[in-house]
Amino acid sequence: MRAAAIVLAKELRLEFRTRELLTATVIFALVVVVLFSFAFDPTAAESRRYGPGLLWIAFLFAGSLMLNPSFAREQNNETLDALRMAPISNFAILLGKILANFIFMSLAEVILVPVFAVLYNLSLAGIVWRLILVLVLGTLGLTVTGTVFSAISAHARMRELLLPLLLLPLLTPLLIAAVESTASLFAEQPALDRTWLAFLAGFDIVFLTASWLLCDHLLEE
Amino acid sequence: MKNFEFLFTAWMVVWAVFFVYEISVARRIAQTREEIERLKQQLQQR
Amino acid sequence: MKARFAITALVALLIFCAGYAALFIAPDEATMHAVQRIFYFHVASWNAMFCAFFVACYASVAYLVTGKRKWDALGVSGVEVGVMCCTIGLITGPLWARPVWGIWWTWDAKLTSTFILWLLFIAYLLLRGLVEDPEKKASLSAVFAIFASLDIPLVYLANRLWRTQHPQPVIAGGPGSGLDPTMSKVLLLCLFAVFCVMILVLVDRYRLELLRNEAAELRYEIESRGLDASNGQETPALQKGAQ
Repeated sequence: MRAAAIVLAKELRLEFRTRELLTATVIFALVVVVLFSFAFDPTAAESRRYGPGLLWIAFLFAGSLMLNPSFAREQNNETLDALRMAPISNFAILLGKILANFIFMSLAEVILVPVFAVLYNLSLAGIVWRLILVLVLGTLGLTVTGTVFSAISAHARMRELLLPLLLLPLLTPLLIAAVESTASLFAEQPALDRTWLAFLAGFDIVFLTASWLLCDHLLEE
Repeated sequence: MKNFEFLFTAWMVVWAVFFVYEISVARRIAQTREEIERLKQQLQQR
Repeated sequence: MKARFAITALVALLIFCAGYAALFIAPDEATMHAVQRIFYFHVASWNAMFCAFFVACYASVAYLVTGKRKWDALGVSGVEVGVMCCTIGLITGPLWARPVWGIWWTWDAKLTSTFILWLLFIAYLLLRGLVEDPEKKASLSAVFAIFASLDIPLVYLANRLWRTQHPQPVIAGGPGSGLDPTMSKVLLLCLFAVFCVMILVLVDRYRLELLRNEAAELRYEIESRGLDASNGQETPALQKGAQ
């Protein structure tokens, strides 16, 4: 697992040199959020109902754009071959990238959630930690599947279009679970919905396991 | 029969889809077989 | 060849019998009358679809385990035929629902899962179209197929949990419960008939894929030999030119 940490460190160093991916992701998600407010003009009650859905859709869209470079970047100078020649397991490489994407996505969310709460007049008081739990579980599912599909679509033409096409239908259960959990937190009586949380955790475990089992086929030449 | 148009359309859809697909597969099989023959001859000539 | 012709004829006969049974032998349903007969082929195509996707999933795993191209050929055949059956189901469903319940579509657990299934496996076919290297194409699409298959029960479960929290207008579950005995027999006949048609088309598609692989191999061999042949000819000419 130290190997994964090394890969993670490399990914973080790479991104923080320019921070362009992170910036673009945050801006894009913001644009989605603002556009939605033009599409329908939410009152307070509606904000509570539609807000969570909007938030997660913004994350999914921004995520599918942000996850592309994960493996596409490696294609330019064939750096993936270099990585594979290092004495680390394929899963360590994949895990390192998953964690890096998770951190990037989480950073974007840390910025976006307060902004979203302000724009839609929703209060975050008293629900912050529970909301963080939901965000962590949801983002984990997004980054695990997204990184795997980034590895898949890196070998294809039209990869920027292909990744969302592969990813978004697959993530529908995650979307439902995340939206419902978030919505129950923003409700009149905020409550943590155990069923949906368990579902999210289950989703994450299923796809993390599948990634582990199939990582050799993903990364081999 | 009430609503016969729906029943008829559904029926047609089912068989049209299967039929068109099967015909296209059969045609492509014939084409590929011809191509294989052609390629084999080319190989023998060299 | 003769066996193939005989089997096709047999299946055609089976379809004819099933169709006749569905249209004329099955009793008229109490409330829905004639339109209800769509049900026989609607359910049959779902069944065929699940079988096709099961074959595809099994073949994907087999390909990743063994590395033999024939499993990849079976996988793509299963997915294509499955998508076709799914399309039939998604079209016949609304054609039945509209006259009976007045709506073309509803987002209940089954329909939503099936729609997502359709989208996922169309994405599979798109993926294959966009990857050029044949071995990468095979292994990547196998991985995707496995992920997609894992997702389907999750989609269904999520939708069920969601719908129990937000009750939707109740749509009658279809005449699956308490089926008239004649209807059951006709249904079984139709299930079997459509299943046979699906297998027939699947086998053909599989053969096509194997033939395509063969043609590609031949082309590759010709190209590599062609290069050798032209190299053999060019070298003396070059030497002459240099002199």
